[in-house]
Amino acid sequence: MTTNGNNLLSDISVLDLSQGVAGPFSTKLLAGLGAEVIKLEPPSTGDSSRSSEPFLGDEATLENSALFSYINTSKKSVTLDPSIRQHALAIEKLAQECDVLVESFAPGHLDSLGLGYGNLSKSNLDLIYVSVTPFGQTGPYSQYKGSDIIAQAAGALMYTIGLPDKEPLKVGGESGLYTTGVSAFAAIMLALYVRDTQGLGQHVDISAMEVMTVSQIHSSIYAQFGRQNERRGTNLVRAKDGWVSPGLETGVQESTWFKVCELIEKPELVDDPRFTTMESRRANQQDLLDVISDWASTKPKEGIYHTLQSLRTITGYVATVEDLLVSQQFIYRQFFQSVSTPDLGEVTHTGAPFRMDDSALELSPAPHLGDDNEEILCQRLGYSLKELGLTCKRGD
Amino acid sequence: MNAASNRPALDGLRILDLSQVAAGPYSTMFLGFMGAQVIKIESLSRMDINRGKARPSQDDLRVYPNGDPGKHPWNTTAHHVHRNINKQSLTLDLSADQGKELFLDLAKVCDVLVENYRGSVMDRLGLGYNSVSQINPGLIYMKISSQGATGPEANYGSLGSTLEQTAGLASITGYDDGLPLMTNLVYPDPVVGILSFGALMTALRRRFRTGSGCLVDLSQREATTMLLGESIVEFSVTGRIASTMSNRHRDYAPQGVYRCSGEDMWAAISVTSEEEWQQLCKAMGEPDLADDARFVDAQSRRKNHDDLDSIISNWTETQDHYQVMHVLQKQGIAAAPVLKGGEVINDPHLESRGFWDVVNHPEAGTYKQITTPWTLSASPRSTSTPAPGLGEHNLQILNGLLGLPQSKIDILVKKGVIGDTPTD
Repeated sequence: MTTNGNNLLSDISVLDLSQGVAGPFSTKLLAGLGAEVIKLEPPSTGDSSRSSEPFLGDEATLENSALFSYINTSKKSVTLDPSIRQHALAIEKLAQECDVLVESFAPGHLDSLGLGYGNLSKSNLDLIYVSVTPFGQTGPYSQYKGSDIIAQAAGALMYTIGLPDKEPLKVGGESGLYTTGVSAFAAIMLALYVRDTQGLGQHVDISAMEVMTVSQIHSSIYAQFGRQNERRGTNLVRAKDGWVSPGLETGVQESTWFKVCELIEKPELVDDPRFTTMESRRANQQDLLDVISDWASTKPKEGIYHTLQSLRTITGYVATVEDLLVSQQFIYRQFFQSVSTPDLGEVTHTGAPFRMDDSALELSPAPHLGDDNEEILCQRLGYSLKELGLTCKRGD
Repeated sequence: MNAASNRPALDGLRILDLSQVAAGPYSTMFLGFMGAQVIKIESLSRMDINRGKARPSQDDLRVYPNGDPGKHPWNTTAHHVHRNINKQSLTLDLSADQGKELFLDLAKVCDVLVENYRGSVMDRLGLGYNSVSQINPGLIYMKISSQGATGPEANYGSLGSTLEQTAGLASITGYDDGLPLMTNLVYPDPVVGILSFGALMTALRRRFRTGSGCLVDLSQREATTMLLGESIVEFSVTGRIASTMSNRHRDYAPQGVYRCSGEDMWAAISVTSEEEWQQLCKAMGEPDLADDARFVDAQSRRKNHDDLDSIISNWTETQDHYQVMHVLQKQGIAAAPVLKGGEVINDPHLESRGFWDVVNHPEAGTYKQITTPWTLSASPRSTSTPAPGLGEHNLQILNGLLGLPQSKIDILVKKGVIGDTPTD
């Protein structure tokens, strides 16, 4: 939709050898700010996320994974396999021209193919070389494998999530890996700033475990101050069509309590000592939730959210993906963007993660496998596809 | 050019930090780690909530080191000590004219302002972007808010847990019964803290190239919704609504968390390929399992996941959770212990990478501090400076930076515009 004026990173070229979720998510954010992102994928099979559920059609193809479509918007796709010598030479050529290289192989793997930071930075002095891996480049677990749940477990994030009588629970989706991608993005912007101001490039090491350890926010300090953070139940209340957290035990000024009593038609509670102060409401949270439940059970969740927020409570409602798309707040800010794709029609994507006055997120659909082989390999580098063994478009 | 620079990445940058609670303080903590000077502004009547209460009650004691609030409780809470490292503390009353004047004097000599008040608070104080950009056009004004700077919900309040709800994250977090759950860890806050650091770097790079500052508008709800983008894509094309799926994965099977020996000890296992599945069967001492029709491919394993979970649990139950990781990872299988807060601070891998900083806080004692979610080869992070006492740097900033004479500072103290003891 809105594509004007976005030149924040239009001078930046990114060579992305990373696979899966975390690395590609960081380069999606760069592409959204106008960087040219050349995504390198294994010929024939492509990035592993091309084979990820859920698929957007009756049959799974390399072009209709929802995950792949989401995290690879606005990129170019080139099929090269770094373990083939001739392809490695082509990658080396591309690396000489790029500003940022992102990769996610096991530490040391690209070094063994002549594509490590040490070698590539000899001819591209201020290259920013970014490695995004489960456990980082050094240390006893550096060769260990990972996934979203592994990062959330090792980083002490998930131990406190879930109910006390059940197993620890991970945050849903791929959110640990997305956060790792956000961290890589932040570090790349930092490194670009350092390159501008100090004239030097560097090797950036992102460990998903460490990102999660940073994100556990207080379990580690509580433990040292003598308190164990534990899994605990939820304060959600059932509404007519889902769940809300009324939030009356936090952030409600005492003077608004009577308005709440009016609202829920329980005038007798105005002077009930269990509820008259924020502290008493917190101490009697279960009684409070019972009182609210009766009222909430017949009302739509988003309506409850607006009504209670207008009394300056900190209320929430559990939005499903369906609810998000009809949120007036998101609609007003045009957060979601519709992207036209040749095979899938109109697809809805999340928009800019932050806004600066004259910038807007620029989104084009994720590329088909090998879409840009001709442009990048032939026109830019002067190869013929044949000499690289890439006979058809997908590089089969 | 590959040699490590001795110069911190953000050397010479000065940050005016009005942020509170978690997301904002996290981003300015990272700025401090990378070498920026961070001036944290609080008022004596409204300290950062992280500092807790001026006079804590018995119920509040668990947030202090060993339950002891000490002489200055506002300087020793876990949240303050942990999130406000690498900052200087200046107290100012922004509702007083003199407080406003000093604030604007500071805004003149700062590069970045970070705030996360409810929507229009700064505008009402006359200190919003339009005012401060007039006196410092190069200023980058980072506005972190629950819902963004605009829109019908711009003045709504939120906590990390309600953001998880309104952003959709809770709808996909939970066991397989569909009951949504929150993280209890305000997960959106660190995510937003890291993202706003990236946003600030983007704005700083632009300023370096063009000379102009700007307003950066970051909605915590939007940033959190970004974490479930593939489910939004899926819904928009297929109409399917993503729900909770416990610890399972759409592709990998088995994946889950399995009970180990010891009190509430668990290990996570994630099998991402057929090879790994066969290795897992061998590692568990059950090589025949690989031929079991119920588990022959990922699709079958997902279908019979409950059966598989009991078999794996039988094996893990007698083992140490770290042992499960080492045994399986040596066979190429992704596995990790579900670490507790008290364990991760002693993890040998993080130790060997130098992830933790050992901080000696003058009032709270010595502890291990989380650092940055990145390591840069040529721009090492600075060593942690303990979280400041309330008003600890009043003199240094007002006199040293703004050149205010001691006599005027004394008057400000008398009037209660600045100080080192909260008023409530």
